[in-house]
Amino acid sequence: MVDTAKLYDAVLNGDHKTSAAITDAAIAENLDPQEMVTKFMIPAMDEVGRRFENEEYFVPELLLAARAMKASLDKLRPLLAARGAEPTGKVVIGTVKGDLHDIGKNLVSAMLEGGGFEITDLGADVTPEKFVAAVEKTGATLVCLSALLTVTMPAMKTTIEAFVKAGLRERIKIIIGGAPVTQQFADDIGADAYGASASSAVAIARKLVAA
Amino acid sequence: MNEPSATQESRRRLQNALAHRGGALPLDFDGTAVSGVHVSCVAGLRRHYGLEPRPVAVHEPYQMLGRIDEDLKQVLGIDVEGVYPPRTMFGFANADWKEWRMPDGLVVLVPGDFRTTTDAEGNTYIYPEGDLSVPPSAKMPAGGCFFDSIIRQEPIEEENLNPGDNLEEFQPISEEDLAYFRQAARDAVRTGRGVIANFGGTALGDIALVPAPFLKHPKGIRDVAEWYMATRSRTDFVHRIFDRQCEIVLGNLSRIHAEVGDAVDAVFLCGTDFGTQNSSFCSVDSFRGLYMPYYRRINDWIHGNTAWKTFKHTCGSVDRLLPSLIESGFDIFNPVQCSAARMDPEHLVSAYGRDLVFWGGCVDTQKTLPFGTPEQVREEVLRRCEILSKSGGLVFNSIHNLQARTPVGNIVAMLEAFREFNR
Repeated sequence: MVDTAKLYDAVLNGDHKTSAAITDAAIAENLDPQEMVTKFMIPAMDEVGRRFENEEYFVPELLLAARAMKASLDKLRPLLAARGAEPTGKVVIGTVKGDLHDIGKNLVSAMLEGGGFEITDLGADVTPEKFVAAVEKTGATLVCLSALLTVTMPAMKTTIEAFVKAGLRERIKIIIGGAPVTQQFADDIGADAYGASASSAVAIARKLVAA
Repeated sequence: MNEPSATQESRRRLQNALAHRGGALPLDFDGTAVSGVHVSCVAGLRRHYGLEPRPVAVHEPYQMLGRIDEDLKQVLGIDVEGVYPPRTMFGFANADWKEWRMPDGLVVLVPGDFRTTTDAEGNTYIYPEGDLSVPPSAKMPAGGCFFDSIIRQEPIEEENLNPGDNLEEFQPISEEDLAYFRQAARDAVRTGRGVIANFGGTALGDIALVPAPFLKHPKGIRDVAEWYMATRSRTDFVHRIFDRQCEIVLGNLSRIHAEVGDAVDAVFLCGTDFGTQNSSFCSVDSFRGLYMPYYRRINDWIHGNTAWKTFKHTCGSVDRLLPSLIESGFDIFNPVQCSAARMDPEHLVSAYGRDLVFWGGCVDTQKTLPFGTPEQVREEVLRRCEILSKSGGLVFNSIHNLQARTPVGNIVAMLEAFREFNR
C-alpha cells in the first residue's frame, strides 16, 4: 500500500519523480484525490511558502517544489473534476500587456495552484481584453496582474479600467505584484491588494476569497 | 564625431574612486550595459541640449541602449569610457549602421545585421546573427521598448545532459577579437576618461545569457526556470560548466591583458543577478558552494596579473551575499539597489564601504526617476551622494540603466544635482 504521506516530503523536497510515482500508485489504489490534495499537497506548498518567506527556500527550491506539485496535480486533476471537487477559488493570472517577464508570475501561479486555487494562466504580454474574456469564460473571482517593467506598470491600470468598462469590476478582486510595484501604486490604480511575494499572494488570495 | 577631450582629469576621478580616495565623483553613463541609457532617453537628451539632430545609435540592442556620442558625453561631463564586446547580445557586430523605426515611431540607428520581422499583432522579432532562416531569438512586444529572449529549449534528456552544450558560447578568443579589443582599448584611453571593459565570457550563469539569444541553435539548458532549478538539482552539471568556462576565460584574459594592458581601469565580470526585490535568488551556502570558487579563480588571476578592478553587477536584495562577494574578490558593486530589502545606503556604506566601490545607487529608477518630480530627483540624488560617497569609492550612476519613457526633465534634474554635489 502506497504511503501517501510521502507526497508531502516529495513536494517539499522538489522531487517530481517521487511525487508522480506516489500519485500513480495512489490512483491505482483508488485513494481519495481530494484528500491527497488537502492533506499533503496544500500543507506541503504552505510549508514551501513559509520557508520562502523565512529565506530558507529561494527561487530554485520554489520552482522545484512547484514542479513536484504539478507532477502530482496534473494526474489528480481529472479525478477531482470527475468528483465535482470545488477549488479554493478561481484565479486568472498574467503578465500585463507589453511585458514579457513571467518568472515572478509563474511562481505566484504555482503557489496559488498549490494553495488549492484553480488557475487560468494567460502567460505574458496579455491585453486587457484577454483578461476580461478569461474572467467571463471561467467565472474567476480573483485576477492577478504582474509587471516587471516601470514602462508596463500603466498597463495594470488599463486592465483594471477594462474590467470596469466590462461591468465585471464588482465581481472580482484584483491583486497586483512585480518588482517595481508598491502598495501605494496598488492604491493609486484601484487594485484590491498588493502582493510583495509569491507566498504572500496565497495568503492575500485566501483572505480575499473569504471576504 | 567630435574630437575627444584630451584631459586626464576624468580618468583620475575614476581611479580615485576605485582606490577609495574620494574627491570629485566620476560620472558614468553608457560605460557598461548595466549603466546605460535607453535610446529614447539619449535622443531626448540630445534634443534637450540642442545637439545636432540625428538618429541615435543602438549599440546594445537587447535592452535598446543608445550610444552616447562624444558631443553628448562632453555636455554631460561623462568620465567613463566603455569597451564593449565585439558582438551584441544577438551575435552580430555593431557595424554597417542603418535606420530603424521603433514601435513608438522614433527613428534610431541599428547595426546592419539587426534584422527583424513583425507579426499581425505588431510584435517585433529579432534573429541571431541576423539570420532570418532560423527561429527568432527575442521579441519586442507591440508598442514595447526592449527585447526579451524567446526560450528555445530542446527537450532535456537528463541522462544525456552534456556541459559542452552550455559552453558553446565560451570559446578561446580569436585573433580578430583580440585585435578588436586592442583597438577599442586604445581608442577608449585616448579619450582621457577612465576605462571599463567587458571582454565577455566571464559571467557565471547570467540568466540573461542562459537563453543565448546570440546563438542560432542553442543546446543544453536554455530555459530560465530549468536553469534556476539546475543550480539546486544538477549542481554537478553546473560545476562542470563553470569549471571549464573558467579555464577558457583565464586563457582569454591572459591574452587580452597582453594586448590592452593597463589601458583598462576596470573590467565588467558578471551580471548574474543574485537578488530579488525582497530576498536573494539563492542561499549564502549555495552561493559559496556553487559560484564563489569560480569567482575567486577569475578575480585572483586578475588581481595577481593586472591592475584592473573587477566589477560585479547584481540587482536586488543581496546584503547577506555581499560578504561572500567581497571574499570572492570583487572590487566594485553595481547597481546598488537601495530600493530593495535590507539595502539601506547608510548600512551598505558602514558595512561594506571599505571593501567595495559603489558604482550606482545614486537615484532610484523604479520610482523616483520615472515617476517623481525634478525636485524629488534632486533631493534623492544629493542625499544618496552624501551617504554613498562616504566610502571614498562612489561612481555616479543610477540604479541600473535609465529606462524608456523616463522624463528627460528628471534625467536633467539628476545630472544637475550630480554637478551641484560635485561643486
